[in-house]
Amino acid sequence: MSALRRPIPRYAHGSRVPPGWDEAADLTKEPSPVPDPATTEVPATLREEIEGHMALYPDSRSATLPALEAAQRVHGWCSPEAIEQVACVMRLTPAYLVSVASFYDMLETSPVGKHSVYVCTNISCSLRGADELYGAVRTAAGDDPEFNVRAFECLGACDIAPMASVDGAYVGPLSIEDVPRLLDDVRAGREVLPEKQLARRPCADAEASA
Amino acid sequence: MKLLFDRIDEPGLNTLPVYEARGGYESLRKALAMPPEAVLNELEASGLRGRGGAGFAMGKKVSFLPKGAMDKYLVCNADESEPGTFKDRELMQKSPHMLIEGLIIASYAAGANRSFIYIRGEYVLQADMLDAALHEAREQGYVGENILASGHSLSLVVHRGAGAYICGEETGLLDSLEGKRGNPRLKPPFPANQGLYQGPTLINNVETLATVPTIMRMGGDQYAKLGVETSTGTKLVSVSGHVQRPGNYEIELGIPSREIIYGLAGGPPEGREVKCWFPGGSSSPVLTADELDVPYDFNSLAEVRSMLGSGAIIVVDDSTPILDVALKVAKFYRHESCGKCTPCREGTNWTVKMLERIDSGEATPMDLEIMASVQEHIMGNCLCVLGDAMAMPISSMIVKFREEFEAHMQAAQARARADLGVADAALTAADALSAEGAAAHA
Amino acid sequence: MPRPQARTITFTIDGLEVQAPENAMLVDAAKHGDVEIPVFCYEPKLGQPVGACRMCLVEIEGIPKLQTGCSTPVKDGMVVHTQSERVKEAQNAVVEFLLINHPLDCPVCDKGGECPLQDITFGWGKGTSRFIEPKRHFVKPLELSPTIAIDRERCILCYRCVRFSQEISEDYQLVLQERGAHSYVSTFDGHPYVAPFSGNIVELCPVGALTSRAYRFRARPWDIEDSGSVCTLCPAQCNVTLTVRDERVMRVLARQHPEVDDGWLCDRGRFAYPRLGGDERVSEPLLRDGGELRPVSWERALEEAAAGLKRAGARTGALVGGQATNEEGFLLARLMREGLDSPHIDSRVAGTLPLELQRELGDPSLQAHVSDLEFAHAVLLLDTEPIEDAAILDLRLRKGVRRHGMKLVRASSEELLNKQAAGELVKTLKAAGEEIVVLWHERLTAGPKGAEAARALLDLATTLSLAGAENSGLLEIPAQSNGRGLREAGVLPNASPGLGAPADTGNAAEGLDALGIADALIKGELSAVYLLGVDPLEDSSSLPVWSRSHSPWEQQRPLWEQALERASTVVAHATFLTEGIREHANVVLPAGAYAEKEGTIVHPDGRIQRLRPAVARLGSTRAEWQVLAELAERIGLDLEVRNGMAASQQLFDAVPFYAGLTLEEIGGKGIRWAQRETAAGVASS
Repeated sequence: MSALRRPIPRYAHGSRVPPGWDEAADLTKEPSPVPDPATTEVPATLREEIEGHMALYPDSRSATLPALEAAQRVHGWCSPEAIEQVACVMRLTPAYLVSVASFYDMLETSPVGKHSVYVCTNISCSLRGADELYGAVRTAAGDDPEFNVRAFECLGACDIAPMASVDGAYVGPLSIEDVPRLLDDVRAGREVLPEKQLARRPCADAEASA
Repeated sequence: MKLLFDRIDEPGLNTLPVYEARGGYESLRKALAMPPEAVLNELEASGLRGRGGAGFAMGKKVSFLPKGAMDKYLVCNADESEPGTFKDRELMQKSPHMLIEGLIIASYAAGANRSFIYIRGEYVLQADMLDAALHEAREQGYVGENILASGHSLSLVVHRGAGAYICGEETGLLDSLEGKRGNPRLKPPFPANQGLYQGPTLINNVETLATVPTIMRMGGDQYAKLGVETSTGTKLVSVSGHVQRPGNYEIELGIPSREIIYGLAGGPPEGREVKCWFPGGSSSPVLTADELDVPYDFNSLAEVRSMLGSGAIIVVDDSTPILDVALKVAKFYRHESCGKCTPCREGTNWTVKMLERIDSGEATPMDLEIMASVQEHIMGNCLCVLGDAMAMPISSMIVKFREEFEAHMQAAQARARADLGVADAALTAADALSAEGAAAHA
Repeated sequence: MPRPQARTITFTIDGLEVQAPENAMLVDAAKHGDVEIPVFCYEPKLGQPVGACRMCLVEIEGIPKLQTGCSTPVKDGMVVHTQSERVKEAQNAVVEFLLINHPLDCPVCDKGGECPLQDITFGWGKGTSRFIEPKRHFVKPLELSPTIAIDRERCILCYRCVRFSQEISEDYQLVLQERGAHSYVSTFDGHPYVAPFSGNIVELCPVGALTSRAYRFRARPWDIEDSGSVCTLCPAQCNVTLTVRDERVMRVLARQHPEVDDGWLCDRGRFAYPRLGGDERVSEPLLRDGGELRPVSWERALEEAAAGLKRAGARTGALVGGQATNEEGFLLARLMREGLDSPHIDSRVAGTLPLELQRELGDPSLQAHVSDLEFAHAVLLLDTEPIEDAAILDLRLRKGVRRHGMKLVRASSEELLNKQAAGELVKTLKAAGEEIVVLWHERLTAGPKGAEAARALLDLATTLSLAGAENSGLLEIPAQSNGRGLREAGVLPNASPGLGAPADTGNAAEGLDALGIADALIKGELSAVYLLGVDPLEDSSSLPVWSRSHSPWEQQRPLWEQALERASTVVAHATFLTEGIREHANVVLPAGAYAEKEGTIVHPDGRIQRLRPAVARLGSTRAEWQVLAELAERIGLDLEVRNGMAASQQLFDAVPFYAGLTLEEIGGKGIRWAQRETAAGVASS
């Protein structure tokens, strides 16, 4: 293939590929209104959690994000089933919820691995080798279905660049050598790279702790 | 002088006993003993400007809220997503009570009875810290009905986002907090009149609110003596990128930028020079090594056509091609554009494609002109500032590093020619394209 | 609640001093000076502007940044520029941005020729693009619903369709997914967008992204003619524009009328039209011969029909359907009363209601406007579900609730008749405010308690002081589309035209109502029946969902099955060979669909609207007035109508409160007779 005919990458990593563009509606399906509580089963704990969130706000719709996050925790991703359950409890249409879910990076609208590894590849981290790190994590994780390895936009931890958020815990600065141990720690259910946990890092400003 | 970062690593500072032991919540008591107008006066006297990015006078913002009995809201913007910024993270994690105390005082001054901290979903640890601190504060009667018998009541909810940069834009944040897609709203109406749930809403950044207890303690006038005239007080600066000691530093506004980058953060690694630096997050126009002596304050940075923004300095040294920087920035904004308005949605997308073409040797010098003009067309024409946030730094890079862009383009073309095996060195990529096109039609 | 009123201010646009209502959006205000500001996302029908497309940027003196004309209210003394270099550059830029991801496949696009994107590109774009990257390509078109196709390449993400789904029909089915340049219009998990008003998104779409599957590739804008008419498929009587090509209706579009439909159209009105011009239509006279309906000449059919009716004479009954115009009903009533001496004609499904009550319910001072549904403090839905009974009113009620905080109350006639419940109802309504509309359905007056319920309704109106009050009144949804018009034309067993006493017709006897006619047919007391545009046995449940309708006669079906079985002569004036007609008619006379008819109909709020022929009549179909006149002649009665307009004239002369009305006065927007000077007619007669 000639260089000029090389396809220009349309959606590089960091951008989610739009999955629905080529999909038609299934005309054999019925429309999808607010689910009927009589026919939609919602796990009791999930319902309780969502209702708890709804009670916190003057308008219960504000609980959309926490509710979707809760459903994602239960189902692994915002599956149609998960969305329908949230819709049923919140009395919203599933379409409304999927519209919201697909807007946010942390809500998954297709199935993913249980353990999320978000590698920050934004400017500060990439200046310190984040793209290579991301490549290394991807390679090391291979097609292990347990992992959801994603290149993520700035995670707000440029002081430990390059870094990653592993199941929500920030670790860094990471080198490529750290990658195998990082994944092993996750697999073993241990705290990931304890010495590189942001939670224990002192402030860089020397006078701050004086 | 450390105000926010004073003994920030003290063990247990995140808990109420330790915070109270060093005088925490005294400012709240002091404030509640004053009429709300007096608190507002102190805030105005302090000259405190918003620490989130826009730098709007905090006291003035509070005063914009309509007076009278009605549901008013206070929202703390903790969606710290501007690339290079991580100051609020450290504050919330290590001194959550400082934020909560400041928030209560601000709500008192603004007459708001419902408040929310919208924290980005990625900050799991910090949100947990806030929730724990909130629990303590509530138990102690700092949050809830009739706080310290003052008659002022306040509810507070820590609301976690789910990963969208645009939710740091105040109206996008409000939509997100209402459970919608985080699309920015048309302004006017401004949030002070019609914000959350259509009610008057005050929105402040974490650092801004966290500064409030200090102002109450010192008095607005005393605080105003810190820093320089138009940029009072201290500021947390996040320094990252090519520096030896990346991290958060609390500085007095107005010190030379060089002092921060070299003095505090140690400057670029041995043998490297500063190529360019973002003074206020990736949305700020880049400055060069020649501009390192600019005082680090709101007005001085505006004078050199950049901005203090969120106070995030990103240093790029001479090992990194400017194109890589531009591409990273542009891709970020393309990914984060909400898609609501045309210039931002399409302009960010187009800019990325042009930059990629430059990098793959398929661009001509004309493309640089087009790219510059596209940035012009984005700036000022969008619904919110996200489009401008890409156009401003990209524009500045084209202006300040045009020669490097051109050199990059030529080098890439040469590589492309080599790939093609074109013998005639004079044949440019564009010629090749049209030649191929002609051949295809023949 | 008070309706918005604006004072007139003066502002300057492009150097021109223009007067406009204060606070009108600049885009609208500019029109007062014949200045067009281009827009994509702005559509006032959809509520608050969103300022998303950025096409309408203008320069306002005193404001440094360009402002969106769609969201900037005009103020006195404002100075606006839409032609300055800055504005032109911004407009060029937005067009260029929009076309980046647009395929420019105009030659094969249905929207081509009537496309705002084309027009604006031509008028405000630069004519060139500097975008040389490959455009994105996707599978297209895709099905979005059985009636709508979506082409995501063409979509410019203006948000109109999703705003419609979320803010107008409030079904929240159509949404945007993903964000940024990846955003796309979609539904949940591949469910189709099927909703009562889904078709409006096709009309709202400013590009060819949403197209009607039925209209795809049927015509280009230069092949077609537009013809204004009124949809008669339900009592809402939405105003429509028919797209006509080669004497066929290819498409039905909304024709905005703020007092009727607010610019929307339901899917039945929009998509049922192919059936109206379709192959299943009766296009020639049919005669039952050896058990089969066979085509015959008009002569033969009319002879047979006349003979059958003459044989039965006064023992003939007639039933008139809601598709019939006032004139048709009026002429048939004359034929029945004057030609056959039979008073047994009815158009009410609910049965006889004492004339006195009908007059009181029709009192002009009690009649609410459709727009009152939006501005009243409260609306009581009495025995009605608007989405079923007059779909478009559902959108109006939603608008009232959403935009003006109108309170919606539901009740049944049983509650109305229960003293305690009625008292509670009054309390609830009064708590909402003084301005109250009662939207009620004809079924309230059905059955043995019908008259009692009607009286209770009138008492309620008195208790609530609705007569003559602002934004208040009664609004009846008749069971049949033109129910109100037919009654006013005298198609009732107990009234002459204009709700006069039966004696005015020369036959003082009260006739049998619909149920009575059926009953009498079964008992053999009547032997012939004339069905004008109605089949009491019709069952539309086999039709696609968007053209299905509940037959108002459903409950009487068992009775009518026997009645038609027993009748010795059934003359059907019909458009379709529906169940009852196929099985029972002896003579079938082909009738036109609304797109072929001329005449008048009356909206539930008393607005006389005009039907105008948009296409030629199908096959050998003749105008209904002509058929009735020829039939009458064979029976020995000269109706003295020689053309359609004469029929209208006769009607206007016969109904006291239509006196002096002309077709010109009715025009394209109709006229509420209650607002004419002759309105006194009803209550006093």
